[in-house]
Amino acid sequence: MKKKLLLATLLLSTSALFAQVSKPIEMPYVEYPIAAGDHDEVVQQYCLICHSFGYVLNQGKKSRPYWKGTIQKMVNEFKAPIPKEDQQTIINYLVKHYGYETSSEH
Amino acid sequence: MDKFSRRNFLGAGLLLGASSLFAKETTKAIVNKNPEFIPPVVAFPEKKPMKTISDRPPLLASNRGRELFTEAITPNDQFFVRWHLPDMPMYVDLNEFRLEVKGSVNTPLSLSIDDLKSKFEPAEITAVLQCGGNSRKYYAVTGQATHGVQWDHDAMGCAVWKGVRLKDLLTHAGVKDSAKWVGLNGLEKPAMEETPDFFREMEIKEALEDQIIVAYSMNGEDLPYLNGFPLRLVIPGHFSDSWVKMLSEIMIMDEYRPSFFMDVAYTVPDNDCECVISGSDFEYKRKPIAAMKVKSVIGYPLPESAIKKGSRIKIAGVAFDQGKGIKEVMISLDNAKSWSAAKLGEDHGKFAFRPWSYDWEPKIKGEYTIMVRAINRIGNIQPMPDEIGWNAGGYQYNAVDHVNVKIV
Repeated sequence: MKKKLLLATLLLSTSALFAQVSKPIEMPYVEYPIAAGDHDEVVQQYCLICHSFGYVLNQGKKSRPYWKGTIQKMVNEFKAPIPKEDQQTIINYLVKHYGYETSSEH
Repeated sequence: MDKFSRRNFLGAGLLLGASSLFAKETTKAIVNKNPEFIPPVVAFPEKKPMKTISDRPPLLASNRGRELFTEAITPNDQFFVRWHLPDMPMYVDLNEFRLEVKGSVNTPLSLSIDDLKSKFEPAEITAVLQCGGNSRKYYAVTGQATHGVQWDHDAMGCAVWKGVRLKDLLTHAGVKDSAKWVGLNGLEKPAMEETPDFFREMEIKEALEDQIIVAYSMNGEDLPYLNGFPLRLVIPGHFSDSWVKMLSEIMIMDEYRPSFFMDVAYTVPDNDCECVISGSDFEYKRKPIAAMKVKSVIGYPLPESAIKKGSRIKIAGVAFDQGKGIKEVMISLDNAKSWSAAKLGEDHGKFAFRPWSYDWEPKIKGEYTIMVRAINRIGNIQPMPDEIGWNAGGYQYNAVDHVNVKIV
């Protein structure tokens, strides 16, 4: 199945692979697997404005304070337009699916 | 100009089908005990299939991993990619593109690529481009995992850069006496106006250093689009967050302009060791990362290789530093009890990868750890992994590299 994906992606991007920059480039789109449930639609709605879910998946599991700090950074520094209650939803989602509650696990 | 847009890509039915297959498969990989996500391998414009850490903004690493680092020059189509903001132009028309040099200057300049190639003396330098977060995942071996994408040793490369000296551009424009800073900005833009733009600043006296160039060529070709076509700032010896891609504006300023990426993001603790207790949060005084640290990486053999007893193998890799030059590279095969000198390869200049190799004929079966340690001409030496100073951003990792192999 992985081979199929690679082949499909390669086929799609073949034109781009050999294209010179004399015309617009075509960027492949990667759909990163996002755990379903716990209001993943809220997570997608805000996080994907600026970056792919690859940013989450490639950090490894993180603590609640870490994810809380990250959301604060997105809101305070990068000006992500996330209302307070949605911030909490996103933090809970990230801790549940891509994190842990206590520091004893690390 | 066409912009990145997720919606544009969602139209591709074939790709959607393929990615949902993929989703099913990798969900399993995430919930199992291995916490490490394996990024998909996808071909991008002018690139061989790359580990796609993120597609938007693109963060790409060669799928060859360490193997890439046995040679001094990294091929363009396998060179790592790391953008910061989601909206980059999908096309740069060289008939319209201009590099603006403006602000506190006597004569503002607006230069086409042809102008840069024909009106200024070309300058060429071989230099290492390394992300500040390169090798970040290894902080987690001896301390707490740090913030950020957990790069292996794959966010680096070395290329021959050709272009115009920044100094020549500044001289041509005539910097006013009141000017103190140079701000450099490229064409990548945030998704929302309120998001801080990605730009870099340096003091005028630094900008006048000979080795800093505005490059239009990489390894004898146009810059690959994703490495910053058509122009990229090259600051040899410095981490790559300063090497502004798609450089379009050089602003000469009398005052420093606060910059999120320099003041907050790409920073280390502002103390002598540039370190804090492992696990600390960002609550420390910071300074921007700048000069790189002496470092060496094993390119061959690959981790967990099985090697036949009595075979002759050439352990190989690269070493580099902030531009003082590599003096010596040492290998240990007995867990750092003893070290032997590796043979240094061709010298491509003090800012380049210095290839090294070490002939080894293992005679006893068993498990071995190969370690490598470099020292530069001013005596900077790589720390052992348990000695490296920790910082929350996981920047400038340069501890002794190691690879475990089995002699069978």
